[in-house]
Amino acid sequence: MNLLDIRNLSIELINGDKNILAVDKVSLSMKEGEVRGLVGESGSGKSLLAQAIVGVLDDKWHVHADRFHWRGIDLLRLSIEERKALISRDIAMIFQEPMACLDPTTTIGEQIAEAIDTDSLSGFFWQKQKQRHSGAIKLLHKVGIKNHSACLSSYPHQLTEAICQRVMIAIALARRPILLIADEPTAAMENTNQGQIFRLLASLNQLKNMSILLISHDLENITHWTNTITVMYSGQFVEAGTTTQIFNKPLHPYTRALVDSSPSANFHLPAKSRLMTLPGSIPILQHLPIGCRLGPRCPRAQQACVKAPSVTNFHGHKVSCHFPLIPIKTPRKATNQKTVKGVC
Amino acid sequence: MTALLKVKELSKSYQQKGFGLKKKSTTVLEPISFSIEAHKTLAIIGEAGSGKSTLAKLLVGAESTSSGTIYLNGQALQEGSYKQRCQHIRMIFQDSGTTLNPSLTILQLLDEPLKLNTPFNEKKRKALIRTTLQKVGLLGDHMNFYPHMFSGGQKQRISLARAIILQPQVIILDEALAALDPSLRSQMINLLLDLQQQMGLAYILISHNLGIIRHFSDDIMVLSQGKVVEAGKTLEVMSNPQHKVTQKLLMNQNFQLKPKNI
Repeated sequence: MNLLDIRNLSIELINGDKNILAVDKVSLSMKEGEVRGLVGESGSGKSLLAQAIVGVLDDKWHVHADRFHWRGIDLLRLSIEERKALISRDIAMIFQEPMACLDPTTTIGEQIAEAIDTDSLSGFFWQKQKQRHSGAIKLLHKVGIKNHSACLSSYPHQLTEAICQRVMIAIALARRPILLIADEPTAAMENTNQGQIFRLLASLNQLKNMSILLISHDLENITHWTNTITVMYSGQFVEAGTTTQIFNKPLHPYTRALVDSSPSANFHLPAKSRLMTLPGSIPILQHLPIGCRLGPRCPRAQQACVKAPSVTNFHGHKVSCHFPLIPIKTPRKATNQKTVKGVC
Repeated sequence: MTALLKVKELSKSYQQKGFGLKKKSTTVLEPISFSIEAHKTLAIIGEAGSGKSTLAKLLVGAESTSSGTIYLNGQALQEGSYKQRCQHIRMIFQDSGTTLNPSLTILQLLDEPLKLNTPFNEKKRKALIRTTLQKVGLLGDHMNFYPHMFSGGQKQRISLARAIILQPQVIILDEALAALDPSLRSQMINLLLDLQQQMGLAYILISHNLGIIRHFSDDIMVLSQGKVVEAGKTLEVMSNPQHKVTQKLLMNQNFQLKPKNI
């Protein structure tokens, strides 16, 4: 059974007379114990999608979906209170810029102790304080901070960024979530620290069987750590599949461009040669192109692209494009595509 | 071929004010020497606090040097000779959005360095701004726009235009590519490589992304705690790192390259 199953989720920004469709019919499904990467450039709506899953968007945003299931429970049918209780128990989220997300006026110890669930404590009220303290120490040990006493009594500005991110993960782990959503956990971090955080997340995934939704703007950064990847562009679903499929046989021109534009993925390229790239820039929300939003930048765009393409499934490799880059092995489908071209 | 920019025994240390035993000095950059030729790129890598950004600031003259000299085309640069220096050594910063004055149009922004450094009249300055904007892939008519009307990648192009408008010989890129989206980043790399070919620029590239460094640079220098621990041709250093710090940096990047086998 899928852990999370979202079908055709749209997020609309209420803006006076005209509503802006920031996320347009995106589907996302996660299995238990899976690490899924969610890749998209700035403005692709990947953070919005994460916030919609956790349910922290305010009234300005309208979220609607055809299906929104969490472990078989239809979240759309629950009342807001029931949904909040369910999600806060099972899903946790960590944010980018950990320094900015922690409270600068209280110590790390208080912030972690606050996150510990009261129901998990036992005994009389004078015993609970001590249990909270030992719980906080245990959480710090779980994320690999050995010197717990110094860490508990310090303020966020006294710690380095990587330690702060570990503290954020510790707070997220306090209620033993089943799904952890990591929204660019290593943005603006040093290489060595990036490796540490990713290794910690990978070990949590393997030891505790915790599913992780890893959000990043850079495909090359997360390929080593994920089982499956979903690619988004400008609020539209682009492609989803296993990491090897996405990396070795991308079907969508946009994914192809992302893989080709990364210098570290193309070792065979001679130094200082030109990199493959898409022309133009990412469209802003006020001026989104109609149909497939990649249209104006896409090298394979044709007249049919003014209509938004539907999702096609090639053996679990989903792609949303009128003219996908089909591997040479399946010539029959390639001819099918040609007739489509003739029609339009 | 003589070196375009030559740095000899450059160092930086900060003095803490006080008397007697209270007087302390912290060294951020130990004496360092290197040289770059035209058409070449020198990459500088290192962890946080290793003195990369301090080195960049010393080269453009934003900070005064503690000891050592910088030679440009064989001439020693004097302390405080900004007029000479700012024409030949220019810098691009990481966050291009905040380095552009929001209350000035692009024309005014690009006009400022020309007014201060060249004897051109208004007509000639305008023509030069138009051709420079076209060189970085924007339109000449963009000069009447304000910075907020551009996207992040375009803003980075404007700061590149501001850097090359005085026909410099050296451009310092301090994490200039880090904040860009991947598809815009490869556009920017292509543009920088084209400009290097056309104008014979020398780049000093400070970056975390080893993939870009491998693609872009000819020489590499690894800094750690203010010291140069390894230097040489990029390909040699990357394929056969000698020092522990370099190995650690390379190791952390290496396993991001190929996807995990499932």
